[in-house]
This record gives sequence, C-alpha cells and structure tokens, in this order.
Amino acid sequence: MPAATSSPPGAPTLSRRPRRARARRRDTTSAYVLLAPALALLAVWFLYPIVSSFLLSVQAVNVFHYSQRTWVGLANFQRLLSDPVFRSTIRITLTFVLIVVPAQTVLALLAAVLVRGLRRLRTFYRTALFVPYVTSTVAVTAVFMDLFTVHSALPVFFSRLGLADVSWFADVHLALPFLAMIYVWMNLGLYMVIFLSGLQTVPAELYEAARVDGAGAVHELLFITVPSLRPFVLFVVISGMIGAFQIFDQAYVVSGGTVLGGPAGATSTIVIFIFAQAFRYNKLGSASAAAVLFLVVVSLATLVMRRIFREETRAA
Amino acid sequence: MPHRFPGARTPLVALRYVVVSLVAGVLLFPLLYALYASFELPKDYGKFVGLEALTAWNYGQVVTLVPLLRWYLNTIAVTAIIMAGNFLVNTPAGFALARLNFKGKRAVFVLVLSIMMVPLQAYLIPLYLFVAQLGWLNTYASLTVPFIVYCFFIFLMRQYFSTIPREYDDAAEVDGLGKIRTFVKIGLPLSGPALVTQMVLGFTLTWNSFLIPVTMTTDKSMFVLTVGLNTLKSQYYDFPTVTMAGVILLSVPVIAVFVLFQRSIVPSLASSGVKG
Repeated sequence: MPAATSSPPGAPTLSRRPRRARARRRDTTSAYVLLAPALALLAVWFLYPIVSSFLLSVQAVNVFHYSQRTWVGLANFQRLLSDPVFRSTIRITLTFVLIVVPAQTVLALLAAVLVRGLRRLRTFYRTALFVPYVTSTVAVTAVFMDLFTVHSALPVFFSRLGLADVSWFADVHLALPFLAMIYVWMNLGLYMVIFLSGLQTVPAELYEAARVDGAGAVHELLFITVPSLRPFVLFVVISGMIGAFQIFDQAYVVSGGTVLGGPAGATSTIVIFIFAQAFRYNKLGSASAAAVLFLVVVSLATLVMRRIFREETRAA
Repeated sequence: MPHRFPGARTPLVALRYVVVSLVAGVLLFPLLYALYASFELPKDYGKFVGLEALTAWNYGQVVTLVPLLRWYLNTIAVTAIIMAGNFLVNTPAGFALARLNFKGKRAVFVLVLSIMMVPLQAYLIPLYLFVAQLGWLNTYASLTVPFIVYCFFIFLMRQYFSTIPREYDDAAEVDGLGKIRTFVKIGLPLSGPALVTQMVLGFTLTWNSFLIPVTMTTDKSMFVLTVGLNTLKSQYYDFPTVTMAGVILLSVPVIAVFVLFQRSIVPSLASSGVKG
C-alpha cells in the first residue's frame, strides 16, 4: 500500500527527529546529489516563473517587446478590481463553486453509504463510479455537449419539465449549470472513494447501539455517519472548493475555441479570464494581477485545510 | 461467520443494488453512448439501429480528416518523456527526504509541501513567456521539461520510503554501501508499489492534460489528442459521430490503464485529489 493512505488526506506530516545517535550522522553530500535534479528543475520551472508572476502584476509590459517593462505599482490591481468583467468573473466562479460543492458532497456521501453495504460487485461499482474521473475532460465535455444539443433526447425531456428545448451550453442561463453538471459527474467517484475510506473508521458498535435504540436508516446517516465523518466531510468540502475554483477545461471546450467564456460571458470563470486576458487580448497586467489574487486565494484555502486537518487528526 | 457491514439490513440490500446500479448506469451512460455513436453512420445518428448497421466508418474518417495518428504519436511521446523524467527526478528526491539526514532537510521538505499547493494557473503567463523566449513553443520540450519535477510525486515517494524498516540501512552500511548506492540497490527495488502509483498517475495526468498543450501549441502537427479533439469537435460539428470516434480513441488508453492499475492509484488519488 502506498504510504500516502496511512495519513489522512491532505495532512502531510513533518519528519520525526531521528531517535538513535548513530542515525544522526549527516549524509549532506549524498542527499544533495539525489536532490540536485529536482531542486534545479524547481528553481528554473517553478521559482523563476512564480517570482516573475508577482513582478508582472506590478509592471506594464510592452506586448511587442516583452523585455520592455515599466513599474506601475498597484495600478494593475486597481484597474482589475474596477473592471466589471472581472467582477462578473468572480460572481460566476463563486456561483459555480456554490452549485458544485454541496451537490458533489451530498451525492458522494450517499453513493459511499450505498456502496459500503454491498458485499458483491463492490469493485465493479467502485470502478464504474471512478471511470468518469480518469477520463479526459475534453472527451467528457464533447460527449455532454452532444447529449445536450437542441432537439436531442435530453433537452426534449427537460423541456417537458419546463426548461426550454435549447442547446444547454449555448444558453445564457443553462451554460453554467451545464458545466456544474459535467464537473460533478466527473468528480463524484473521487469523493465517494474518500468517503468510503472514511466509513471504515466509523466503529460498528455505534450502529449496533443505534439499532438497539430503534434508529432508522435516515437517523443513522444524520446522527452517526455524518458526525463520525466530520474530518472527511471538511476535506471534501474544502478541497472541493479549491478544485471547483480552478475550473477551466470544461469552460474552454464549451466555448468552442471562439470567444472564451461564452455564451455572453456566462462561463467566464477566473482561470478563463486570466487565460483570455493574457493570450487573447494581450492584457498581461490584468491577467497577472488576477493570477496573483488567484494564487493567494488558493494557497490560503489550502493552508486552512491543512491546519484544520492537523487539528482534526490530533483530536481523533 | 462472515463479517457483516454495519447498516446492511437484508430487506434494504436488494434496493441498494438497484440504486447503486442506477447511479453506475448514469455515470457510465455518456461514455457507452459515445462508444455506440462512434460506430453509427452519420445518417443513423440519434437513432437506435441494430448491430448489423454499425460500422467503423467514423474511425476511417477521423484519421483522414485530421492528423490523428500524428496527435497520437505526440501524446505518447510527451507522456513517455514525462513519465521517464518523473521517475528519474522525483524518486531520488523522495528517497533523500525520507532516509537521509542532512542540513536543510526541513527547509527542502517545507518547500516541497508549499509548492504542492500552488496551482499551475497562477504562473502560467510567465511560464509561457519564458518558454517563448527559449523558442520552445510548438515543441515537445515546452510540453515536457517544465513538468518533470512534480512535488506531489516527491511527497508520495517520500511517504513510501519512510515506511521501509531502518534495518535495511544498517544492512547496507555493513555491506559498505554509500547512501547513493543504497538508494539504487535497496531503495529502488523496494519501492515498487509507490513507483507504480507515480507512473500511473503521471500517465493519467499527462495524457489528459489540456491547459498546457492548448497554451504552448498552435501548430496542428504539434497538437496532442486533447487539443486535437477540441478542434475536431468545433471544426466538424456537423459530424458528431466522427467526434465520438475521436472521444473513444482519446479515452480508451487511459480507462484501460486505470482499470488495470486501479488498486495502486485509487488510494493515493483519494488522499490527494491531484487533478485540478
């Protein structure tokens, strides 16, 4: 078993101090020989671009000569924050997160509770539920766009329930829910597996005691399963927020490579905004300022998650 | 007596199988639909036809309409280079962090953990500018070199190497092996399961990656399958059956690898949630 399974998700632990004096002897040279390729590549392909990213956010770049730059202080951020397009980008991204996270958390928990009780075909079900997660987002989005094209079976079916018979990805109101549906469909299996591993930690005596007290299945779920899974629910919610915040592939494919964020900006998520500003409109300042804000939000959320997790595991 | 799972009540079990099968059906339906549609003639599209009307026509079309074989070759080359690079770079780094004592160990490990939480999108623009400066746009180098070092994999290998008993080091010392040869002769042979995880995850992530290739390549002959499929879909939207053939050709390798190796990748995927 990979060691990563023994520690709770998202909770890396720092190495323990060596116990024996003999082990304290240093192998600094050998260690850095083994680390050299990784550290060199990190310096060139991570540290250099990340520092440049911060620099670009406070500079104005001549798009014809990238080396010609002038310092502009926080002007990029000021322009960005007063840009109505960016504001709607934030609103759209948060809406997306708010649709996706509750949906995938609840559905994954229910799926895990259902699968856990099964003795036969468990591996089959786990595989079936996980396949969408490993399939290419581009492939999945292409199939969903096909299934939800105007006059196809599914839009016709939903038109009986009161929605318009339209291509969902091309409709201003349905495009974002359409992305959310694809996203949840792809990630359900991942979060179900996390809940399944969490369910193994719930002591069976709790259920037996509940049954003696005559608790029903719903009571068991709400008053035993969910509270026992608290750390796992937290992990799925927070890492789900971090993941959904970064949505890009589905939104890019939906716009068909034409105007990004379409229809009418309805799917202009934050990463789409960064990408479009930088590579379509050559507005490197706005794009870099948005990228820095994005980085700060994601890093803070990850730090919070790790902190919570360290405390949850200590309390357990 | 076989252990009974808590909460498994006999009358409810049958209902559970039905519900879970429905959920599995919903999750598998789009891909099964794509598979079926990819064997339909365009005139039968949207209808349900018998097996005798199915044909490989779309697959013939997709290789002639677009340079699909070239895209396949590109995807395989990029994936292979990254997997080999991952193995050579992240494995020894993980070993050093797990088994050796050295000055700055804590700092290096904290660095690895911090980098793990930075999404690629945050430095995509300078990465692009740098790659462009090097003249690497539309080359394999732009799709591979920046992604060989991967902190999550260093962490993964480090966690695994930490579980190997200390006695192996003592034995290596008795045999007079230096630390680097201990890594090669003892660490590597024992790291099988974690290596498989690293390789399979590396394969899946690279094969499916879209943001990087769509940023770094504009030349059709340098596309990988994901980018190629995206253009195929927009260019030939009148022929959805042909697009579905592309969908199947892109998805089958990665689904096959997943089904074969799911035991080694599902637990670590569950503990990381690496996909953006």
